[in-house]
Amino acid sequence: MTNKLADIDEFSTLELMAVCGSRAIKNCEVVFVGTGLPMIAALLAKRTHALGAKIVFEAGFIDSNARDVALSIADSRLGHRASAAIGLIETLGLMLQGGHVDVGFVGAAQIDMYGNLNTTYIGSFEKPTVRLPGSGGGNDIMSSARRTVVIMTHEKRKMVKKLDYLTSPGFLDGPEARQKAGLLGGGPTLVVTNLCQMDFEPRTKHIRLTTVHPRVSVQQVLENTEFDLVVPRDVPTTELPTCEELALLRAIDPNGIYIPRTK
Amino acid sequence: MHGVLQRLSRKIYVGDAHLCIARLLVKSLVEAPVEDKRITLKEAVKLVPDGAHLFWGGFGFQRPPMAFAHELVRQNKRGLTIYTCGSEMDMDILCGAKVVSRLELAFFAIEGIGLVPNIQRRIREGAIEIEDYSNLAMALRFMGGALGVPFMPLKSMLGTDVLAKKRFRTKKAEVMDCPFSGEKVVLVPSVRPDFSIVHASRVDREGNVQIDGIKGEDVEGARAGKKVIVLAEEIVDTEFIRSQPDQTVIPNIYVTHVVECPWGSFPMMVYNYYDYDIEHVRMYYDQCKTEEGWQKYCNEYITGPKDHIEFLTKIGIERLMKFRAKKPFAY
Repeated sequence: MTNKLADIDEFSTLELMAVCGSRAIKNCEVVFVGTGLPMIAALLAKRTHALGAKIVFEAGFIDSNARDVALSIADSRLGHRASAAIGLIETLGLMLQGGHVDVGFVGAAQIDMYGNLNTTYIGSFEKPTVRLPGSGGGNDIMSSARRTVVIMTHEKRKMVKKLDYLTSPGFLDGPEARQKAGLLGGGPTLVVTNLCQMDFEPRTKHIRLTTVHPRVSVQQVLENTEFDLVVPRDVPTTELPTCEELALLRAIDPNGIYIPRTK
Repeated sequence: MHGVLQRLSRKIYVGDAHLCIARLLVKSLVEAPVEDKRITLKEAVKLVPDGAHLFWGGFGFQRPPMAFAHELVRQNKRGLTIYTCGSEMDMDILCGAKVVSRLELAFFAIEGIGLVPNIQRRIREGAIEIEDYSNLAMALRFMGGALGVPFMPLKSMLGTDVLAKKRFRTKKAEVMDCPFSGEKVVLVPSVRPDFSIVHASRVDREGNVQIDGIKGEDVEGARAGKKVIVLAEEIVDTEFIRSQPDQTVIPNIYVTHVVECPWGSFPMMVYNYYDYDIEHVRMYYDQCKTEEGWQKYCNEYITGPKDHIEFLTKIGIERLMKFRAKKPFAY
């Protein structure tokens, strides 16, 4: 294995997104994830720079060391070499609200400029066109985790000025809003999309472009974003995955359940 | 237990006559009559009247009361209100068959596959109404019901539409300042449903319940119900339960009825018993994108078979055996 950076043609966008997610996890942190890309990212982190990270799933599997890719958050696969199998009051209540979760990962159908998320309805509340899954544990994670990472697809209809429904709290309507509302957690610190990475400007809590993925221009990001995005003068390209990270990713999801092989 | 009590009785009673009485007492304790709570799946579902409120157990793909859902459809129940954290194919079946009209929950999807297909249609038709909470809020509402207190406080939902928007409840949640610290908390109403429906790993005929793997919100949900129906993969002898009492998560005191129901969560999974049949779930999902497809599935797999055994026969023993858990793995 080598830490050599992969060639730009050697990885897919989903692989890059998983690597970005993985790098957001520090060693020995308690990580709250769902299934899908966040789970793959957390498993990758545990096999690279964060061997001591503990992965918690809200259904009750704690410090999971799954060897097979799980489809459900309550999948028996997640019980493999876990340290405990308890329940929701434990994970979302005692562990998360109790202040023991360092970083939580969530997905969303819509995000606004303060990092608030919609996972409930598309269309009006009275007459919705699509019913999305709902909060699940998303609202709890965004409320109480020390920091949160959002992973989602970058489209104009998803990066919106106004959410159809505010399911999970980012910075609500500005810098002091979380504290005023009485929320415990720190809010989102990173948004990973298929085009770029974003964070939040510390003073205003406005969402801000940090890196663009290879072959993506700042212009392209802006064209696919409805809300006002803070764009710094200097926007570097996202650091490429290493050959080691790619090899591990492909071993974690060998059948391409969450990261389909494009080539 | 016999030995311990005997040693204890020797210490307390010195004389032979006393020892004799103590032995009789011990015998009556050990051989206390056992209440038999076993009923059939059909009998259990018959107990649920139209319009009843149900706690619905299982979490994600793990231990959903699928066989109970099928039987509710066969018996053509109507107007149920469901309380759960998250529910998937089982709830989509109940909404597709118009058994359920109201839900208070946090989540539904068919994870890894897509959105719940029947529920999408039923919402558009106005056939079902949903009151949204977060998962922690629902789990605490069950704990509140179980504890016998009218509400529970939590630190989720603040500042969001989950708090601000309500569908059919007159009061959904309230924000208040803590009377001790002044800190903001959300209060959510406790739930005491008419029935709690839980699918477990093992139970004895008295109703002592053991659940392998994650418990989701079933431990609190079971205790919240006014009546509790436990379905289980196996009914084991009470001596087995009593040889490992630390594994019991719902003591029989809470449990009203017990139903033996092997493969009762299929095509979803039960930890240590069987894996999910993802091809079947995917077939269900694809077919239920249209109303005709759903009707076809329902006729073929739910109302066609006259009971759970006929459903399993329809799946076929050869197919079922493929999904049996392989030790040392739980799936």
